[in-house]
Amino acid sequence: MKLEGMETVPAAPAAVWSLLNNPEQLARCLPGCEELVAAGKDIYKAKLSVTIAAVSGKYAGSVEIRERVEPSRMRLRIEGRGAPGFITGEGTLELVAKGNETEIRYGGEAQVGGVIAAVGQRMLQGAAKIMVGQFFDAMKKQLAKGA
Amino acid sequence: MIPTEFEYLRPRSMEEALGLLAQHGPEAKLLAGGHSLLPLMKLRLAAPKYLIDLGGLEQLSYVRDDGPEIAIGAMTPHAEVESSELIRRCCPLLAEAAAEIGDVQVRNRGTMGGSLAHADPGADYPAAILALEAKIKVRSREGERTIEAASFFLDLLTTALQPREIILEVRVARDRERSGAAYVKLHQPASGFAIVGTAARLMLDPKGNCETARIGVTGVGAKAYRAEAVEKALAGKRLTAALLAKASAMAAEGVEPLSDLHASAAYRLAMAEVITKRALEKALDRARGGRR
Repeated sequence: MKLEGMETVPAAPAAVWSLLNNPEQLARCLPGCEELVAAGKDIYKAKLSVTIAAVSGKYAGSVEIRERVEPSRMRLRIEGRGAPGFITGEGTLELVAKGNETEIRYGGEAQVGGVIAAVGQRMLQGAAKIMVGQFFDAMKKQLAKGA
Repeated sequence: MIPTEFEYLRPRSMEEALGLLAQHGPEAKLLAGGHSLLPLMKLRLAAPKYLIDLGGLEQLSYVRDDGPEIAIGAMTPHAEVESSELIRRCCPLLAEAAAEIGDVQVRNRGTMGGSLAHADPGADYPAAILALEAKIKVRSREGERTIEAASFFLDLLTTALQPREIILEVRVARDRERSGAAYVKLHQPASGFAIVGTAARLMLDPKGNCETARIGVTGVGAKAYRAEAVEKALAGKRLTAALLAKASAMAAEGVEPLSDLHASAAYRLAMAEVITKRALEKALDRARGGRR
């Protein structure tokens, strides 16, 4: 499953970068995040409780920052596992300054397996988009507070 | 294939159902047929602690002649909508869409309210409900309100329903003179869901030109939508074959198409055009007095 897009948030790249690198702030942006803790250099462990209407599940996983060019680009690798299935993927985030705002370009590809891939195929992409939307909405709120 | 443990509740009245829903909040799900919810629970993609079965509310299963409108109770099974003499005569588009849902078992158990509340991106009813500009009456303990079809579907599996609201009924206007409608669908053969489904409704003026067009499309994006670009392209025009073809090309304008194992985004977009054109042609034929 491919996922890519763009979102503009009302803060300078430096502020966005600092949020992305602060587990506490980042946790508040991740939809359904119950826990996000550092587990080594550039590795975070996370617990997410994902709910989209009738579909809900708990997932445990990790995020590893594979490459970073402050404050404009990072490459991530994610892994997650829950009762309904598993997900692995790699993606990049690019931060581009646009006046007082930052354009965040994201792109990546994920492999999804297990029941959720077999049965939820039709819904996966839509569900991913909802979560990305929730992530950026929460991030905008966080940034507004910080400003 | 066994769901996690849950408590089964079967209210006998609407008041009781609303009370249970308010009491158990996000840990409860309403069961209104269950042909989408139970598979999700068996696969453990959904694990509600409380299942509130609305199946005991027989008073919510009806098709009623209400003057200029037809009222359909939320717990009316698809099979009854499909076979209702009143609906087939006064609002055949709805019966045509109901007949396309799943298989016989699904149509016997599944209900209109259940299907609308679940808002599956490939469900059939949403396209028809949008084209018919239906009104969806809902109730919570605080009172009743009516939601227009056009503002009901918000996103994947997400509707304008509030957590404590239950759908009461769906109201559709009777077809007027010189109007015709059709639902055309490209099936995903295994599930029966729509890869693309278009419900087209055309109202002609006395000269036979298009007065208004209402087009609902399901399956293409994360939610069903009104193809407003197509509607605008047809309004006030003489409906030639060339115009129908040109308008159909706008069937997915502004929509981000889904992509899955069964149909890529590009395929969905191409089929949105083809299926919409067929639905328009069929609706026009019916509006002009062809077989309904």
